Amino acid sequence: MSQVLHDIEKKIIDSLQKKSDQTPEQLSESTELSIDQIRRGIEWLRLKEFAKVNESSKVTISLGKNGVDSFKNGLPERKLMDLIKDGSKSFEQVRETLSGAGFNAAIANAKKNGWVKIEKTDSGSTISTKEKPAETPEEKLISLIGDKSIPEERIENKLALKFLLQRPDYVIQNTEKLKIVSLTEKAVQIDTTQSDTGAIDVEANAALVYAARTHPLKDTIDEIREIFVKLGFSEIQGTLTQSSFWNFDALFTPQDHPARELQDTFYIENQKSERHATPTQIKQVSKSHSQNWHYDWKLSESQKMVLRTHTTCATIKYLAEQKPDEARIFSLGRVFRNEKVSYKHLVEFNQIEGIVIGNNTTLRDLMGIQKEFYKQLGLTKIKFWPTFFPYTEPSLQTMVYNEKLGKWIELFGMGIFRPEVTKPLGIDKPVLAWGGGIERIAMLKYELDDVREFYNNNLNWLRTV
Amino acid sequence: MPVVELNLNRIKKLVSGNITKKKIIDVLPFLGLDIESQDGDEIRIEYSPNRPDYSTEFGIAIGLQGLLGIKKGIQKIKINKKGKFSLTVERSIPSRPYVTGIIAKNGKLDDHSIKQLMNMQEDLHLGIGRKRKKSSIGLHDADKLDEIGSFHLNYAVAGRHVSFVPLNGSSELTIDEILKRTDVGKNYGWILEGQRNVPCIGDYGNQIISIPPIINSALTTVTPKTKNLLVEVTGTDKDSVEDALSIVVSTLQMAGFEFEELKITGYKNSTPQLKERTIIYDPKLTSDILGIEMSQSNMVTCLKKCRLDASIRGKKIKCIIPRYRFDIFGEMDLVEEIALGYGIENLEPKLSPSITIGEKNNVTIKTDLITKTAVGLGLLEVLNSSLTSKKILYELTKRNSSEMISVLDSKSQEHTILRDSLLSGLLENLSKNIHEIYPQKLFETGVVFSKGKPIRESINLAVILAHKDTNFSEIKAILQSILRTQFKIDCKTKTSSQSQELFVKGRYADIYVNGKKIGEIGEICNEILDNFRIRTSVVGFEINLSGLIFD
Repeated sequence: MSQVLHDIEKKIIDSLQKKSDQTPEQLSESTELSIDQIRRGIEWLRLKEFAKVNESSKVTISLGKNGVDSFKNGLPERKLMDLIKDGSKSFEQVRETLSGAGFNAAIANAKKNGWVKIEKTDSGSTISTKEKPAETPEEKLISLIGDKSIPEERIENKLALKFLLQRPDYVIQNTEKLKIVSLTEKAVQIDTTQSDTGAIDVEANAALVYAARTHPLKDTIDEIREIFVKLGFSEIQGTLTQSSFWNFDALFTPQDHPARELQDTFYIENQKSERHATPTQIKQVSKSHSQNWHYDWKLSESQKMVLRTHTTCATIKYLAEQKPDEARIFSLGRVFRNEKVSYKHLVEFNQIEGIVIGNNTTLRDLMGIQKEFYKQLGLTKIKFWPTFFPYTEPSLQTMVYNEKLGKWIELFGMGIFRPEVTKPLGIDKPVLAWGGGIERIAMLKYELDDVREFYNNNLNWLRTV
Repeated sequence: MPVVELNLNRIKKLVSGNITKKKIIDVLPFLGLDIESQDGDEIRIEYSPNRPDYSTEFGIAIGLQGLLGIKKGIQKIKINKKGKFSLTVERSIPSRPYVTGIIAKNGKLDDHSIKQLMNMQEDLHLGIGRKRKKSSIGLHDADKLDEIGSFHLNYAVAGRHVSFVPLNGSSELTIDEILKRTDVGKNYGWILEGQRNVPCIGDYGNQIISIPPIINSALTTVTPKTKNLLVEVTGTDKDSVEDALSIVVSTLQMAGFEFEELKITGYKNSTPQLKERTIIYDPKLTSDILGIEMSQSNMVTCLKKCRLDASIRGKKIKCIIPRYRFDIFGEMDLVEEIALGYGIENLEPKLSPSITIGEKNNVTIKTDLITKTAVGLGLLEVLNSSLTSKKILYELTKRNSSEMISVLDSKSQEHTILRDSLLSGLLENLSKNIHEIYPQKLFETGVVFSKGKPIRESINLAVILAHKDTNFSEIKAILQSILRTQFKIDCKTKTSSQSQELFVKGRYADIYVNGKKIGEIGEICNEILDNFRIRTSVVGFEINLSGLIFD
């Protein structure tokens, strides 16, 4: 068997072949590798079943704070005996010297050892020596430990240890985990000088690298654009800033309509559009509004600059300028709404809109294009419901069944431009229009429930989605 | 979209006929009504703003009766001409010249139906009433007027010191106090701004009934005990006030009321006729627009199912539109009515072959090429809003903000300024990702804005690299490569004479192609990086693609 070994692994095996049963620290010393390298190497060898690690624990005993004091100055009971060496003393006298817990412990242990006698007098208790105090096993143990840390098994008098452990902070028991590394049988045979032929560990994990890529939302936008092109639509471009004339007036939205208010639409500060339409277009649009909506149409309102609220302004402008007899056109891009940003609303999102003018421009044709569009996106369960758009009549919306959510979702809208929209601009054929927001479709595709994710530019998401 | 709450049992009763609740639920969407939520028999419906007649159960029931075939054709409304109430316009009121109204009799109300009527009133005020400015409605208990003998009302003006007890109030307040202290006064007082005397409806005994468009008097409060209603609508346009009245009348008719005229005279005002309109429909439109062949008699049936009247007149169809369907402008609207009557679900989609060949716009094609090269160079694409904040665009980057373009009244502080640079956005992206693995190499293509006549838009490309070893040479190599690949454009970088706070001194340059400046490139200076809390080296460039690879 040709085994690929890392240099670290080889050094560990070499060392263990010379001397078995080493701790990681010992290996670090013998191989001159860092302790981290040794730990990693041991882990690799274990996975390859070349090394075994026996874990055991060792208990050592050392002196605590009170133990260290007793080692230097004697246990409290010894201090007491020294105090009353020259005759009996009152409790008060003794307490003064052996303050706090030391006093109680001293009295109790001296009594237990049979060293003292206590007499009660009218002026309080006195204490005097009863017997000359010999060295106790506890004292012997404290001397034995001293300032060292000794293995528990070396302590013979277990009872003395037990007593000391019961007293606060005299001795400390330290449990130390020990790892002893040894080689498995098959590793003992390995000749580390021979195993290498430039081969590497092909099974090991490699570092993560992330591919550079286009934005996921852009991918969906491109996919949808491709479908429009495939369906015979050609792309036109429009600007994001528009006059109210093309964004609203040309689309039959009255000037006092709620949708035109500041709270729904972004108006651009101190900007006025000057030459956005021909005098005829302005005159005709004005007439259509006054006649149908009964109000005084104002040129100044139509000159206010807005961030477009839909891509329809680009398509209607194209129609008014080009007046094609037959065409399939689409416009795709950002649109804006002055809304509070939330998991389902953005102030800026992408919209696509296609129009058909010419032959075969019935509502059924429009429905057919929709059906094909959704089929291309892989959505086959669809139905149509009537709806309302200010500039189309009749108007429909597509409902698409989403298996995961188990419900019908409203996607693109469609309709035929109102004569009140087309006639003033000199367009005399029916114009089919259809379109909608792209983020909604992208959310379904990437299974997102928060639309903001597309614009957070969280690299972790962009790199891995 | 406005919303109305319905109770299925009440709808079922109103529709009458042997109809299951499930059938009602199934048909609602085909009236153009979206079911927003359902909780047992209570459902919330979204309706289109052009159909305020759907703002109550009553109106929706009228529509359902038609589509379900229970009652077809126009809802008949009879107005008894011998009413005892009258309203005289005493003088011309330029700020709110028009008033109309009607007496609705012998109805039965309860808390639920009053709530429905309130919903209708709110909708009419907000929508066609344009927040009560264009038109507003007052509903009054007519019997209260009867009791005090007030049959003859007038529409005039009152001084702001005049007082009365307003609706839901307990004591008299002057008009001035009502405007300043009550919620409705605060919400709608702006409509009366600058007027010393305000419009008011009263009787000839100085009893105020209403100060439109603000509030009614408490005297005529409508309660579940009310049987007879006086409806008044005031506003700035004669058609609009009658539009609103027609919805109220159609709704009250369905709620079980009968009608009696409120005679109105004076200053271009007159008793409302609520007249129906006639539109002559060309049946050819049905096949031209819907793409279905249908007999004229079928079209008549479809129109009647939408609660219109229709009859064949030779090669045309004569269609009668009730007053409350003012959403119908012309023949094209009737096409939609026919489609609804026919049933949208019965329209078969048809895929006709395209005779045109689709193609992408040149800007898209060229931008895609740039994107491909950028990805090939290991750059990750990001997308930022083009409406962003002053903080990111100018404050953190210390860029010149003198040509800033703002929008008015944004609801979000992060979206107030149109960007004139992409690079600032990319720095913000790095800032949000300081815990992600480096190197971070990002690019964006997108629209930037500058002041022009009135605003210039162009498409820019920006690239940013962030890692500890990056430097000017690395970013310049990328710039050269992007322009040379596909486009064979050679660019030059020239020491800039202008001082740039964004870049490290002596480590930035202007980018030139054929002697024309197209952008800037450099190492981002530490102070700016600190502002964005970025703790590694960053270099970047931004160039104008418009005018370079497309027009």
